[in-house]
Amino acid sequence: MTEASDGELARLAADGDDGAFAELVRRHAPRVRALCAATLRNADEAEDAAQEAFLKAHRALGRFSGEASFGTWLHRIAVNHCLDLLRAAGRRRSESLDALLDADSSVLARALTEPSPATTLEDRDAVARMLNRLIPDQRLALTLCEVEGLTYEEIARAMSCSLDSVKARIRRARAELLEMARHFSDSDIV
Amino acid sequence: MTHEQIHERLGEWLDGELDGSASAAASRHIDSCAACKSEVFRLRRLGEALFAAPAAADPRSTEAFVARVMARVSADTVSSWEKFAARFLAPAFGLALAGLLFTIYAPRPEADADAPLGVAALSADASSVFEAAP
Repeated sequence: MTEASDGELARLAADGDDGAFAELVRRHAPRVRALCAATLRNADEAEDAAQEAFLKAHRALGRFSGEASFGTWLHRIAVNHCLDLLRAAGRRRSESLDALLDADSSVLARALTEPSPATTLEDRDAVARMLNRLIPDQRLALTLCEVEGLTYEEIARAMSCSLDSVKARIRRARAELLEMARHFSDSDIV
Repeated sequence: MTHEQIHERLGEWLDGELDGSASAAASRHIDSCAACKSEVFRLRRLGEALFAAPAAADPRSTEAFVARVMARVSADTVSSWEKFAARFLAPAFGLALAGLLFTIYAPRPEADADAPLGVAALSADASSVFEAAP
């Protein structure tokens, strides 16, 4: 028996077949959950965001035309949802976090200079928190590039922006992070 | 490309985003430039430090995730019906009721002043039907 394609399952799901939608969730959950986890860096928020992305997809099934693959369409929904959450979190972030983030910068500086990258859980968390310093669009573009290995063109499609915007976002994100680390680095790296 | 131009685009080179000739030129330059080599090292390390590979997902956790999503889908579907009912059915019912009451109680010039208008109109219609019958 041949396995139903994503497109066929999406059509069935749009007609109210919950079993078909469950199969789509099963197929695409690993990628969506990984994207949310890498982007949001908080297990509970990421889990909720991944569920919400599927829920939004379910509500929008009637608008899925099938021109792009279901995976691409779903990925775009998840990317936009993560971006919304990052923007909301950015608005909530208080200046009181700055002291903590300064401490994190020094951990990142160490991670860039020592022979092997940060390995303790605390150090990894501290380094990951550095991403909070970036504006959401830069952070998401860098995450899609580094974690998902998407090309700049794929990122531009996922984020609905131009190729030049993607290049600028990734370049600025890296430059800003390296600059923060450089500020706390006593010695230069060879 | 000059050193500055290449230095500016080291990230793109690292991501494989430069075209063939630009990438080859950048590679040759990086081989002979300590500053660019150092920056490439830092960019690579930055990616490793920020985005350490996550543990592979447990298949059982995927099934639990599917169950949670489907529970929310189910709740969302019920809630959508409730919203639909609140938004469209309740006002429609209200309008229908108002129309019915208006039909029954609205003043009609030819109606008997003592009888409810709907009843008067109904009795007038009924008598005309009886008159028309053979």
